[in-house]
Amino acid sequence: MSLSHEGSGLPGPRGPIRAPQSLAGGILLIALAALALWLTRDLDQGTLNAMGPAMLPRWLAMAVGLSGLALLAFAFIKQGDVLERWSLRGPVFVIGAILAFAVTIRPFSFGPLAMPGLGMVAAGPLAIIIGGFATPEARLRDLVILALSLTPFCMVLFGDLLNLPIPIFPQALTGLFPADWSQKAVLRATAAIMAVAAAILFFATRSRRTNRIDVADHSGRI
Amino acid sequence: MGDFFSNLSLGFGVALTPLNLGLAFLGCLVGTLIGVLPGVGPIATIAMLLPITFGLDPTGALIMLAGIYYGAQYGGSTTAILVNIPGEATSVVTALDGHQMARQGRAGVALGIAAIGSFFAGTVATLVIAALGVPLTGLALIFGPTEYFSLMVMGLVFAVVLARGSILKAIAMILVGILLSTVGTDLETGEERMTFGLPILSDGIDFAVLAMGIFGIAEIMRNLDHTEHRDVVRQAIGRLLPNKEDFRQSYKPVLRGTFIGAILGILPGNGAVLGPFAAYTLEKKLAKDPSRFGRGAIEGVAGPESANNAGAQTSFIPLLTLGIPPNAVMALMVGAMTIHGIIPGPQVMTKNPTLFWGMIASMWVGNLMLLVINLPLVGMWVRLLKVPYRLLFPAILMFCCIGIYSINSLPTDVMFIGLFGFVGYMLIKFGFEPAPMLLGFVLGKLMEENLRRALIISRGSLETFIERPISAGLLAVAAILLVIALLPSIRKGRDEVFTE
Repeated sequence: MSLSHEGSGLPGPRGPIRAPQSLAGGILLIALAALALWLTRDLDQGTLNAMGPAMLPRWLAMAVGLSGLALLAFAFIKQGDVLERWSLRGPVFVIGAILAFAVTIRPFSFGPLAMPGLGMVAAGPLAIIIGGFATPEARLRDLVILALSLTPFCMVLFGDLLNLPIPIFPQALTGLFPADWSQKAVLRATAAIMAVAAAILFFATRSRRTNRIDVADHSGRI
Repeated sequence: MGDFFSNLSLGFGVALTPLNLGLAFLGCLVGTLIGVLPGVGPIATIAMLLPITFGLDPTGALIMLAGIYYGAQYGGSTTAILVNIPGEATSVVTALDGHQMARQGRAGVALGIAAIGSFFAGTVATLVIAALGVPLTGLALIFGPTEYFSLMVMGLVFAVVLARGSILKAIAMILVGILLSTVGTDLETGEERMTFGLPILSDGIDFAVLAMGIFGIAEIMRNLDHTEHRDVVRQAIGRLLPNKEDFRQSYKPVLRGTFIGAILGILPGNGAVLGPFAAYTLEKKLAKDPSRFGRGAIEGVAGPESANNAGAQTSFIPLLTLGIPPNAVMALMVGAMTIHGIIPGPQVMTKNPTLFWGMIASMWVGNLMLLVINLPLVGMWVRLLKVPYRLLFPAILMFCCIGIYSINSLPTDVMFIGLFGFVGYMLIKFGFEPAPMLLGFVLGKLMEENLRRALIISRGSLETFIERPISAGLLAVAAILLVIALLPSIRKGRDEVFTE
């Protein structure tokens, strides 16, 4: 909010475009309307008495397009906000994390690409670690510890306590445990191992890094 | 009157069983836990926590969901007071004076009066719902498709008028929302519309997925753009219970806030969001010394918080009596109810009275729980708020993924939250407010259905909408509102209210 206030206080961009934000918004709306009109081109519109499938979408698309045109026109007439600063890092890593979760949670194939289902035991940490790098302040050690402690928590909560049908671990994992162990037992054991690993990592790396963290904090990042 | 009490006692009979009490408690607790995280509003909270209610019976699930909803609302206020990051539009106002009080070492009193005001407002709103439920359900029965359509048009016009920023942009967002709702198989002809031939789109876009993308993921991306400076109060929280003087100053604002919030909450089209703003403006106008506002005036917390909670609760009325969700949170409730096999609308009360009245009674129980849970747990929330965002958002991200995956067990749903998140991020960057779009999406399907039916009945004549008196009245209200909002002098006032 504060950014836009600063923007309106400035003399504004030079040239014929007086509100770049409205211009971009207008173009976006027109593109959306065009897409909708193109997608419904083969559908029947029907009459008011018996509306066809295309009637409402087509009218709406036209109305959206009109709003877009109006915004576009205002961009040249009325002074408005400038576009805010963009950064690609955030969206790229966040979407990357979501995709990583989606393709690993259960067997997934898209064309020639096929992924084995790894379950939450892999998808959770992947999402946390990849997503964590969306901010320049990311620290791998912290993210790994976070992943290793939150994932087992979620595994136990969703898989064990709530019994949701969400894949927890790949079937291959059961081979590593004694054959007479139930699925739940394997789940609990895996969760326990991860939690212990998180604790070990936390305590093992803490003492060595105390000094350096201190230095980093004093260098005034906050 | 006899009905009123017998209905309520039936409700309390359901809500006060140990199991349901436990569920209400659990719902409030986890709702607050997630809702207190900065940048997570009630919509994202409910979408994230929806799956944990799947294993329960419908009544229990709804009671728990209502608890989650109140918890999320209250969690948002806690964040607003302690960190000055309002989780959603309705707690913006609370942040103004609440955070100032916190900086003066009166965070405890601010939280306390917010909780007490909310509890009082919740109690009144519960009674309002119980009293209005039966007559309004009767009203629903005389509503035909024509009236329903006009009512929804009026609701959407409300949403335009109440949206922040440019009216043109708000209208565009509503239209886009309705357009998005037409994606999928056409219910009457069975033809696929705008699905790109993708089978996953043939059922249309899932509301939870859209809401999670727009309000969960886009919010994370937006927060990442701003370098974080979160000033969690360093001062002591102070005592929690307001003293006599505090009570004397705030009991009137609580009463007025409750009244304003309860009335605005009933309006379709997210009237509840106006409640806190209206209450704050009113208190400032009535105050002997308006300059105290913005510097930690307790009335500035008591009034809006009561209005907020009263509105949050009475917004159940359009949903439960007419079957029309008045805002995005209620739309998620529709989704949750449908998953449990209940279609919201006038028939719920007659067909399933234990569920209906049980849920209403549990609203009051939920408010009581909040009072009991939150005040002792404030210390825990403060500690949670000190977790840096760089660790918080990956966790939120994973919870979003797990939550959305477990609703339909579809990896594609997870991918779509990424897509909608990016779309929402772009919209925010271009100065559009996403909330009206979500409301348009919610009402879109219902509107199309009712429009078609109305036109079939009238044999294709659009005049039916102005010939039928109720429908004409509703449309006239909508038109007047739109004209008023466009008048320059009112627009200035409206902008002032929102920038305050």
